[in-house]
Amino acid sequence: MIKLKNVSKTYPPNVQSLKDVNLDIDQGEFVSIVGQSGAGKTTLARLLIAEEKPTRGVIEIGGWDITRIRRREIPTLRRQIGIVFQDFKLLQKKTVYENVSFALEVAGETRKRVREIVPQVLKIVGLDEKLHRYPQQLSGGEQQRVVIARSLVHRPKVLLADEPTGNLDTLNTRDIIDLLLKINEFGTTVVLVTHNREVVNGLRKRVITLADGIVSSDKKHGKYLIS
Amino acid sequence: MKLLTKTTRLLKAALQNIVRNAWLGIATIIVLVMALTSVNLLIGVNALIQDAVALLEEKIDVTVFFKQDANEALVTQAKFFISDLPQVKSAELVPSNEALERFKERHANDPEILEALAELDGNPLGATLRIKARSTSDYPFIMETLKNPQFADAIESKSYDDHSESIKNVQSIGENSRLIGMALIGIFALIGILIVFNTIRVAIYTQREEIGIMRLVGASSLFVRTPFVIQGILLAAVALLISAALVALGVAWIEPVLTPLYDGTDPGLKRYFIEHWLRLLAIQGGGLALLVGITSWVAAGKYLKR
Repeated sequence: MIKLKNVSKTYPPNVQSLKDVNLDIDQGEFVSIVGQSGAGKTTLARLLIAEEKPTRGVIEIGGWDITRIRRREIPTLRRQIGIVFQDFKLLQKKTVYENVSFALEVAGETRKRVREIVPQVLKIVGLDEKLHRYPQQLSGGEQQRVVIARSLVHRPKVLLADEPTGNLDTLNTRDIIDLLLKINEFGTTVVLVTHNREVVNGLRKRVITLADGIVSSDKKHGKYLIS
Repeated sequence: MKLLTKTTRLLKAALQNIVRNAWLGIATIIVLVMALTSVNLLIGVNALIQDAVALLEEKIDVTVFFKQDANEALVTQAKFFISDLPQVKSAELVPSNEALERFKERHANDPEILEALAELDGNPLGATLRIKARSTSDYPFIMETLKNPQFADAIESKSYDDHSESIKNVQSIGENSRLIGMALIGIFALIGILIVFNTIRVAIYTQREEIGIMRLVGASSLFVRTPFVIQGILLAAVALLISAALVALGVAWIEPVLTPLYDGTDPGLKRYFIEHWLRLLAIQGGGLALLVGITSWVAAGKYLKR
């Protein structure tokens, strides 16, 4: 599903964030990418959603080589990848319903489809009672669930979650991870970028560790090994 | 159907943007109204000056006094010759006998003058030709034409020599006021453009995060940009209507105040705006919509990089 071949990313003047990274993530996998600050986790996430282009190497998502993706093709890619961020990135002046429906509207879905899908995904994340609330009227955990709902509307093949629990307490963290596991059970590939040791160790799924821009370990049922 | 859905969504997004960023919208409208009103103020002042100059120009004429013994046929021929010139607006001939009648009428209550006139053998007054040119710049040409040897000998004097200085002054005021007026309108329009450009940029800057999020969830740049352009054009339309209302009220209020300064005649301000309202509205509305549309497109594009 996701292939990285000899991918490097250098920022000017000469800061190497990723060095010759090779990765192969299969469909339906749940992968945690861990590492200390500056290890290259966020750069990797940004490359996967084409927010950055690699300096060298090839990136493929679902067989699509996005290494030299054109600007006008980016919206199509982003409709195939669900994205969840630590800082939620919700439109503050739109309601819960509008935040989720917006992702469908931009793809040109009909009004009928929007009316069908949005309540369904909001039910999955447990927010079907808070459709008309604005983000600032929700807790951190609830806001993150709206983001997950938004990322699910296109039935993405990949869900990329960059530090999704970074701003949440233990209880909400557990809820969000359970939700990601549930989504993974439906067949969606989940890539979780995190530095939360407890979360990673509790998952007992594949763990890829990045250190100084290189893959230092890749374990099928790994643990968070960095001190 | 898809196009209709898309258009409805873009319009809805633009209207939601306006409602949910109401204060920003109000601030933008105020700036647009100020820019438009100041340009209209200058247009009005320019129209008033042009009218005043036209009034002065209208008062100017040149009178040719023919000799008392000038041949009547030659005088009539001179009148037709002058009237046919494209530079001449009107030429009024007063024959010598009519000139005498008018003189007598004017001095009907002055027996001394009438007695002195009766003592003379014949009519001491020659014919006069009153000429109005289409433009003040045409008088020198007309004067030159009157030097034609065919009529020159029959002419006693011309009043142009007395007026030449004032004609030159009016001509110079007219030319300068047109030039300065146009330059000032140009400068104000330019300042207005810069203010509008920056206001729209600031308005979109405050929404840069939203633009980034829209992009992240897969919105195409067209889908992100278009509501901002529609929003800008709608705000510009509201500003145009408000400034048009302000100008109409201002003109209605100031016209009676100005009338005494114009010797009780029409200062021409209201007339100018009534005659040119469609053109002014089209130029200002079109220009503003274009400016706001392009600015919104460019400013939103800045946050669409990736």
